[in-house]
Formats: sequence, structure tokens, C-alpha cells
Amino acid sequence: MRLIIRDDSESASAYVANYIIDRIRHFSPTPEHPFVLGLPTGSSPLGVYRILVEKYKAGQISFENVVTFNMDEYVGIPRDHPESYHSFMWKNFFSHVNVNPNNVHILNGNAPNLEAECVEYEAKIKRAGGIDLFLGGIGEDGHIAFNEPGSSLASRTRVKTLAYDTILANSRFFDNDIKRVPRMALTVGVQTILEAREVVVIILGTRKALALQRCVEQGVNHMWTLSSLQLHPHPMIVCDEDATLELKVKTVKYFKSIEIVAKAQGFEQILPSKIRTGPGPIPKTVVNEVQSPTILAPQPTTSRLLRATPATEYPVRSVSPDIPELVPDRMADRTGVPSLANRLTPQPEQQQHRMASVGA
Amino acid sequence: MPHSLPSSPKSTPKNGGNGITKFTNCRILKGASLVEEDLWVNSITGKVIRSQSAFYDDFVLPDEVINLGGRILAPGLIECQLNGAFGFNFSTLLEPAAYAKKIREINKQLVKTGVTSYIPTITSQLDQIYKRALPHLGPSGYLQVAEDGAESLGAHVEGPFLSPTKNGVHNVDVLRQAHSFEDLEDCYGAANINPESNHYHPIPIKMITAAPEIGQMTKLIPEITSRGIIYSIGHSEATYEEASRAVGAGATMITHLFNAMRPLHHRNPGIFGVLGIAESLPRPYFGIIADGEHLHPTTIKIAFNAHPDGFILVTDAMHLVGLPDGAYQWTNGDCTNHIIKRGSKLILEGSDRIAGSSITLIECVNNFLNWSGTSIPQALRAVTSTPAAMLGLQGIKGCLDDGADADLIVLSERHNPPSSHMLERELVIDEVWKFGTRVFTR
Repeated sequence: MRLIIRDDSESASAYVANYIIDRIRHFSPTPEHPFVLGLPTGSSPLGVYRILVEKYKAGQISFENVVTFNMDEYVGIPRDHPESYHSFMWKNFFSHVNVNPNNVHILNGNAPNLEAECVEYEAKIKRAGGIDLFLGGIGEDGHIAFNEPGSSLASRTRVKTLAYDTILANSRFFDNDIKRVPRMALTVGVQTILEAREVVVIILGTRKALALQRCVEQGVNHMWTLSSLQLHPHPMIVCDEDATLELKVKTVKYFKSIEIVAKAQGFEQILPSKIRTGPGPIPKTVVNEVQSPTILAPQPTTSRLLRATPATEYPVRSVSPDIPELVPDRMADRTGVPSLANRLTPQPEQQQHRMASVGA
Repeated sequence: MPHSLPSSPKSTPKNGGNGITKFTNCRILKGASLVEEDLWVNSITGKVIRSQSAFYDDFVLPDEVINLGGRILAPGLIECQLNGAFGFNFSTLLEPAAYAKKIREINKQLVKTGVTSYIPTITSQLDQIYKRALPHLGPSGYLQVAEDGAESLGAHVEGPFLSPTKNGVHNVDVLRQAHSFEDLEDCYGAANINPESNHYHPIPIKMITAAPEIGQMTKLIPEITSRGIIYSIGHSEATYEEASRAVGAGATMITHLFNAMRPLHHRNPGIFGVLGIAESLPRPYFGIIADGEHLHPTTIKIAFNAHPDGFILVTDAMHLVGLPDGAYQWTNGDCTNHIIKRGSKLILEGSDRIAGSSITLIECVNNFLNWSGTSIPQALRAVTSTPAAMLGLQGIKGCLDDGADADLIVLSERHNPPSSHMLERELVIDEVWKFGTRVFTR
């Protein structure tokens, strides 16, 4: 897991937005091979959406070939209700960018058959080739999407009853009237999220500090569903300083230091090139072949627990052709040999010869 | 009602697109404020569309995105009292074909001033003019085409049932009294005042200005309003009591408040008095001519503050609007006078009587903006949502709500230095859109 810590929420949001833009650009999506983006709602990703819109308006990114899947939607409120997630996405993102409406997928909380809607949603994700990057936020109780505490870590898209805490937290959007907050929602499952090729979660503010601590420093636990991210091969959490309040100083320093080191080495998140560039032609990795001696590096393994990515897809890093490879040789080969007789050090051939004569 | 009718396409998109335009980076007039929001309009249906539904239900993206660079996007202006324009007086006796042609010309010209819909006004005339002219002045009804320009919402007959002592520049000789509804039918023509079974032709008359104290007019008000026609008090000697009775009977409008009526007197507040809520009657809307001639700026402020929700700016402009200064012949009924035009001032020759104005509606808005120091949304309301509400066209005209007609103006704000002879704050019309199609660019 990578944990990126930024001083404030603004720079954390900017990091996530820029990361998504870099990923889309590098992917260079086409209508045949679109970039599939999973999207959250809520207060945490607002800053990310704002920056994405700004970058779109500045002409730095196009969402023309981006397919989106939203995490969740309330059941039983009109689609165009100001608090529905359809309205949220329209108001904060879709109305400002060039996402094709045919590429937008949001669960329909008013579907006649909610169960069928969920099954169909999973099928749609599969038909789109799976999600390339799932952006997420979390609740104070560590839920990702509406996967409330106690959700199965193998869950898929389904109808979910909301936890009391979530209803309380959401009542601020419904005139502080708990009775008007929807009790149920449709949500992607933990498994659905973990099947994404990459998961990026943004966590902001002191209220989320405990949840972050549970998910990073404690074990995988269905009471803090975000902790399941520990089983994902390519997870990244981006947070602000406030959200780290419950973490150990050691944890914070560790993740900060590895970010600095990684940056110095010129890479951030290591992803298999197949993930980075989509199903298009994979750029050939140039490796300067060395005949001997050869050091056999251990093959990196990825988690096969969830079959998220086959273990054959291990990260590859290019070796720069500029740096000369270390080839063992002799100094004599470089300086030239003036005369064998004048040598101070005994020649191995002579030694062998001498030893043979002594023994004779 | 023209707008409950089935609707034809308002325009045909040139490139075979969906005809949807999105305005972005603009300040939209919504209620009493300017909000930063996008606006989507459809030029085929001619309506403002609910963008979220269009996106999620119809999977559409706009054909064209227009960045207004922070300018104001407001509903098209609604003019409630216009006697003529660009050299043509609506109160003119002409052959039907020639009259219709003149109206078409005016519509195309008028829309360039930001007025997207209006109430053509006929002053007191002999009945033959009403019978000839009114069929041409009715609402456009089924056939609404963006390229036609400004659209009539129905005619306003100002007279001839007026008080002979408050005639203004109306010809006293043609003034009449009504004792029964037949008198109205006789004057205007029965077809022009009664609804037809054929709904494709709405009633040509939308508003009648009459003095309630003349003849049996107060008793006839319910008959008028039951036909969906607005009754407006004006050119009247009515006392406060008489005006209150008219409001109680269904009068919902006052024609050019203060002008051609008794002034406010502290012992009898006259017609102006009905803007108080003393009799617990609904307060009527009222027209105000903010041309700097008809009313003192402070009088306008007092009227505005008395009842801001009823405040409607009108021009009462004559056909001379848009023409150069000089003396112009004016046929008023059967006698011919001359009107002297000097700037926006119009005086009846040989008198000091104001003969209407020759100001444009946006100039009235700018005057009011500067004299009252009110906010831009408040000033624009007086020519958009308030007249629409007066005419019973809420949600159709004068607003940018979903489903409203996409009549729009793009305004820029100009701040002139105080030393110049121009107004300090000025709204300039950059673009005019009718039914979702751009019809004018400055």
C-alpha cells in the first residue's frame, strides 16, 4: 500500500486529481479501449472533482473516452432529487466536462427490480473490461461506498441498509431530518472495488483519522471495510495531515520517507505496464543483456488471494541504457600487458608451470 | 392561451444536430439574484431544458457550448405598452396585407432591442381601426418561429372607454362609455374579444385599459377577466374608493401609474392608494414610464418601494422610436396632429403635452438602475418575471426555469466615469436569442 500525506486537503485533492489525469493521459484511451473510472460521491472527493473540471476547462485533459461507474445511489428518492447521487455527479462533475452520457453508469435506486439492477451493474462493469481506477472516499466508520461495518469482504453490488451513523451523518443534507434520509442504498461491493486494477482513496480531516488508522495500522477487518484494501495489489491512500492524527508517528514518517525515496528514484506507483496502458500494444522493455555472471533476482509475487491480477503480471522497471553495466574484468585487460617477464605479480600461467616443476 | 397549444418546431438546426446549446461561465437571472450556473436550451422545442434529465434520459450533449465570459444571461425583455416602432403606429388603418407586413418588419427590428415579446398597444380609436388591426396583433399561437423576431403576446387596447378629462393625447372625440358587454363587442369587434371554439386562434386582445368610473365599466370587469383578458385601470379620474372597487372586481393592473390619473392626495390617495394594503385587496401590478419625462426619479422610487413585486417598467413608446428628431405627422382617429421629437422627448405640437415616449425598454431599465440604486436582478425583474406574472405567463415567459420559452438576452455591464454625461451603470445588450436561436449580435 502507498500512503501519500499532504499538508492540507487542497494539496491532497490536487495530488489525486493530477494522478488521475496522468493515468488517463498515459493510458491514451480510445473509443475501443476507454479508460474505466470508478467514482465516489460525498464531501471528500469534491476538491478532486473541482480540480478535474478546472484542468478540463484549461484543456489539459479530455474525458471523451472515459467510461465512469459510480459507487452507489440511494434507494427510493427521485433521481433528480437535489441530494441524489445522480444530481451530485451532474452538479459537480458531468455538467462541466465532456463525459459522454452513454459512458456514464450510476445505479438506479428506483429500478423496479433492485436485485436485477445490481446484477446488471456487475455485468456492465465486466462488459466495460473492468475498472481501471476506482477512486473512493471513506466514512467515519471506515466504510467504502455503502459497505457499512460488517459488510462481507467478498460482497458484490447489492442493496444495502445504511448504518445508523451514516444516516445521522447524511441527515445534514436532508434538513437535519433523520426521517427523510433514505434507509437503503444500492452499492458496489468490497469485492467489486478490489477487482479494480487500481484503487485510490482520498481521506480528509480529523473525523476520518480513526478510520484511517484502523485501515492502515490494523489488520483486515470487516468492521472497517476499507482495510480490505490491504489485499489489493495496487492500493493508494491519499490523505491530509489532519487525517493522520491517529496514526503512529512512525507510520507517518515511514510513508513520508518512502515517498521521498521513491520520488528520488523517479517512480511513484509501480503498475504493470498492461495496467498503465490498457489493452493496447505493450511497449517493449529494453534490457541490456548480460551474459555472465548472472544474478537471478527472486520473482516478485502478487497476491493471488483475490485473483485480482494474475501473479504473472509482476512489475517491471526499465533499465536505463545510459548507465554502463558492471561487467567483471581484469585491470590488465584495460591497461594492456607490456611484457610478461617484467611483471611484479606472478602470472598464473607461470605459477602453474612452477608448481608443476617443483612437484616434479 | 397560446402556450398550451401543440407546438411546431421553432427552428431547424442547420448541421442536423440536436439543436441544444449550453451557456456556461455566465450569471443567470434567477428570482432576485444572479447565480453562476449553466443553462441549456433547445432550439427545436424553443425551450429551456432541464440539463440533468437531458443527460441521463436522452443521452444528449449540447451541439454548441457558449462561454459568456461571466456576462449576464437574462430572459428576453417583455414590453407591456408599445404604441408602435420604427415609423409604424399600430393604430393605423391599412389594407390587411400591408398591415401584416409592417408588423413582421417591426417584429424583426424590435427583437434587436432585447424585447422578445410585447403587447402591441392601440390608443383610443374609432371602431373600424380596432376591427381591422386587432386580428393582426393577436398572439402568434401555433406558428412560432425564432426567425420571426419579437412575438406578440396579445394586443392592449388603451381606450376608448376613458375619462375625457384624463385623455392625455388621446382624441377626446372618439372616447366612449360602456354600459354592457355588447358595447365592448361593438367597439372592438366580437371576434376580437370572445374566445373561439377553434383554439388555434387565441383571443387577439390580452389587455384592456379603461376608466372604471366611466359608464358601467366596474361592473363589466368580471366579464372581461373571465375571458382571460387583463383589466387595467388608467386614464381615469377614479377616487381611491372607485379604484378599490375596480380592484375588488378583478382589476390586476394600472396603466402608466401617476400619468393620466389624479395625483396622490393625502386626503384621497386616488388610484395610487390601491398599492397600500388598506382594503386587504390583492395589490395590482402597475406600469411605470422611466424615461425621465413622464415621472420624477423619486416618484418612481416611491412607487417601487410601495410594491416592488408589482413594479413593471414600460416605455409607452410611439412609432417614432428609432427615428431622427423632427416633426412627425400623427393620425389620431380622424384628426391629424404633429408630434415634435427632440431626443427621446415627444411633445404634441402646439401644446406642452407629453405624447408618449421614444425610449427603448433597456434604456428604461438603465434609468431605473441608476436612479434607484437597486440591484441588477431587481431592475431586470421589472421587465421579465413581473410582466410575465401580470400576463399569467409565469414559467413560460420572463424566467429561465426548465420548460420556459428560451427567449434570452446576453448583457454586459458597463461602468462609465461619473464625469461623462452617460449613466454610471449601464446594461448593454450583446446578444438576443428567440426560442433558443440567436437572432441578434451586437
